[in-house]
Amino acid sequence: MSEQTAGRLTARGLEGPQLTDRLRSLLRGRNLAVLALLLLLGFLTVYPMSMLLYGSLHSTPPGAAGVFNLDGYRAIMTTHNLVVLLNTIGISFAKTVPSLAVAIFLAWIIARTDTPYRAVLEVMITLPFFVPPILTAMAWGMLGNVQVGLINQTWKAITGSETSPINVFSYGGVIWHMSQYTTTFLFLFLVDAFRAMDPALEEASRMCGASRWTTFRRITLFLLLPVLTSGVMLSFIRGIESFESPLFFGTPAGIKVISTEIYDSISQRAVPNYQSATALSFVIMGLMLLLVVWQWTVLRGRSFQTVTGKGFNPGVVKLGAWRWATFTFCLLFFFVTTVLPVGQLVAGSFFKFFGFYGWDNLTLEHYRAVLGDSEFWRATKNTMGLGLVGATATMVLGSIVAYISVRTTWRGRRLIDAIAWLPWMMPGIVLAIGFLWGFAMLPAAIPIYGTVWALFFAYLALGTPVSVRVMSGAYAQLSYDLEECSRVHGANFWQTLTRILVALAWPAFAVGWVLTFFGIMRELSASIMLYTTGSEVLSVVLLKRWANGLAEEVSVIGLMMMALVIVFRWVQLVIIKRRISTL
Amino acid sequence: MFGKTFKVAVIAAGIAASVIGVARAADQDMPADVIAAAKKEGKVAFYTSFFGAKAHLDIIKSFEAKYGISVELLDVRASDMTERIRTEQTSKRYIADVTQNGAASLVRQQRQGYIQNHGGIPNAKNLLKDHQASDFGVPTYILGYGILINTSAVKGADVPKSWQDIKDPKWKGKIISDDPRALGGGNVMFSAFQDKLGDAYNTALSQQALVLSRDVGNDERRVARGEYPMRIPQLFSNWLALKSLPVKFIAPEEGLPYIRFDFGILTGAPHPNAARLFINHYLSEQVQTAYAVAGLIPTVDGILDKAGEAGAELKGIKLLGTTDVDRQDSMLDRAKQLYP
Repeated sequence: MSEQTAGRLTARGLEGPQLTDRLRSLLRGRNLAVLALLLLLGFLTVYPMSMLLYGSLHSTPPGAAGVFNLDGYRAIMTTHNLVVLLNTIGISFAKTVPSLAVAIFLAWIIARTDTPYRAVLEVMITLPFFVPPILTAMAWGMLGNVQVGLINQTWKAITGSETSPINVFSYGGVIWHMSQYTTTFLFLFLVDAFRAMDPALEEASRMCGASRWTTFRRITLFLLLPVLTSGVMLSFIRGIESFESPLFFGTPAGIKVISTEIYDSISQRAVPNYQSATALSFVIMGLMLLLVVWQWTVLRGRSFQTVTGKGFNPGVVKLGAWRWATFTFCLLFFFVTTVLPVGQLVAGSFFKFFGFYGWDNLTLEHYRAVLGDSEFWRATKNTMGLGLVGATATMVLGSIVAYISVRTTWRGRRLIDAIAWLPWMMPGIVLAIGFLWGFAMLPAAIPIYGTVWALFFAYLALGTPVSVRVMSGAYAQLSYDLEECSRVHGANFWQTLTRILVALAWPAFAVGWVLTFFGIMRELSASIMLYTTGSEVLSVVLLKRWANGLAEEVSVIGLMMMALVIVFRWVQLVIIKRRISTL
Repeated sequence: MFGKTFKVAVIAAGIAASVIGVARAADQDMPADVIAAAKKEGKVAFYTSFFGAKAHLDIIKSFEAKYGISVELLDVRASDMTERIRTEQTSKRYIADVTQNGAASLVRQQRQGYIQNHGGIPNAKNLLKDHQASDFGVPTYILGYGILINTSAVKGADVPKSWQDIKDPKWKGKIISDDPRALGGGNVMFSAFQDKLGDAYNTALSQQALVLSRDVGNDERRVARGEYPMRIPQLFSNWLALKSLPVKFIAPEEGLPYIRFDFGILTGAPHPNAARLFINHYLSEQVQTAYAVAGLIPTVDGILDKAGEAGAELKGIKLLGTTDVDRQDSMLDRAKQLYP
């Protein structure tokens, strides 16, 4: 039956049968699916955002007596805030551009060259992303301080100079610290997209006379545009909202960014100024939405399909002797971004005090303290449970949203995609307030607030932008003939989605799962606002230790998280390798 | 009738008594009906902003062992807890029974109607005379802040004895400080200086190019490692864990800026009797001594002698001042003016 209702219009509107047909059409599977998704995403994102919007337009937070006004928006329109915003954008831009260049190079090395030990290098390169920023901040503070930093001391010893070339408490330090996460984040986005590229397109370019560099620029990078733009946007936005790097390395140098200004409005006032903080956040969000529109504009009407019904082997460029140069580059990256800071943490965990490395200071007391702490084990259990369930649920939701957004022409798909983006564009500390208000203001019969479900739904909301972007990029590379072939052979929507699309996009799904899982493990803003007795998570336990000056126990916990990362990444890569060999 | 000598003796005895302190009364438990009601309630939900403090855990265990009432502890940062309580109160989701927070924050919450009258706490009679309970707030301990110095970099005559000494130009650019523009020790110190030493002092101190930091967890070790010779304000309880490092805690002669933590029972508390029993337990000699051993200044009289090394160090320490609930934001604003 056609989706169009056939029927006559009368002076009174549609007659009975036509109305029934119209209703039936509306309640058809796909419309119901879109509606259900809209409701779910609405609850996860629009509902807490609406609480924040209320907060930005009302003199008091939800539940308290007050008046509606625009004082919050008026208060933020100052030269000071404009300067801080420009400063923030500048820092984010400064860390995104070089990080992108390095990430592209690393992803190309790992996915498209014959550099030796690529599997091992891939795990090593991505480790920095999974280390909680507090830990690397501690480590880099020790490595890069002007007075007694290890790097400066080594430089002075080698060169005889009396000047310290590195000062991590500076703009450079803020950008450096942020870029370590950005580079590996972008790498994770890019490496599987590089793998899923049919070399026939590049070969055709070369055969037409284009140089390697021209082919790389105009074919390879172009085909990666969906993934590239998604990754750049996500990391640029994250840079705007980055908090730990400017807090630790920027505050002593007088560097101000939007995230610390927002944090101060909420947490560093005797009476929190939610109206200003939420107003500022919405202004930032509005600016970020322009980036999303930019991406739609860039990608609209173009095809980026690299995976078709024809099988292919991802092409590997033979580098000859240069492969050892690329190998060295990857090792150097790993050494600088992981060995140096994590080495400090390892050392810190085995000595009585962080930074004091005498033999008589060796101890296992920090490991005993952590491993003997019931709160640590409870938090580990909660985090693992929430991570496993949360990451899986987030990727499933992201897969569905991405499918509708990228692979269909269904009504409402743009709205779904836009809603899925929203949580990424709101500073975490503000969004956490939105969740708190939203869940607490639900009717008492809905027992989310004060339970572990509050954390689950918050994580689901926070992870969806990443899962949608990862799967969108992967779906964009898949030819439509694969789906059509599946449907022609009698598979329904779910069978096609799971056994064709997700199966082919499995590497991206796995990457997204790992990103989401460890995003949950690292997530702090919502966790600290929503956790209750018995639902502590590792990020909160880590923060407690740090707030009490227990840097050594922080190191122990961080190292355990890193060990988990290595195991997960190894398993993930083994599974991907098996899957790719069947492509 | 009474000779001059006798009068002098009485006055001297009075002075001695006020210095030494009137003998501390024995702990007193809650009335039996309150204890029975508390046990029937079975648990108490305890929200505290002394985030991550391990001292709570043993104290909680002692309460649970004594009364068989389980304690659900939630410790979060002060700003987070303030908003949680506000949200729970306004949405009428009454989860928390008792809150422990900075005295100024508690007063604010009481004004907003979130704290109920505690109905009397027997052990409150032992509170120090400068830290008496109100109908709503019961003082439990005090955090005192001094100066942390690196003993290799600051020696002999350079060791500060007064807050005035850190204005010496030789320390310019060499003092790392908790950020006075943010809630916490830095602003408490700023506020206490403003009240007791004057705006001129804070203005002069702001010319010392203090290195402002919020890396609470690490800054003490930076002083120990020699990155900076001095740190302000330094929490006395944290200093106890650093004693084997080349650092020293200095209590300036004017006194320590401090934050006092008070208990309050939340409006709508589902377990009010257990809450009262819990607060009373925290004012017992056992708990106050445990606090003192952990480096927290007890609010109950006659405890420091029982608190070992920490108690001995705390004895004789003066308190300089703390934040004023009605002037906190103006102090933050003034700090932002002096430290742009």
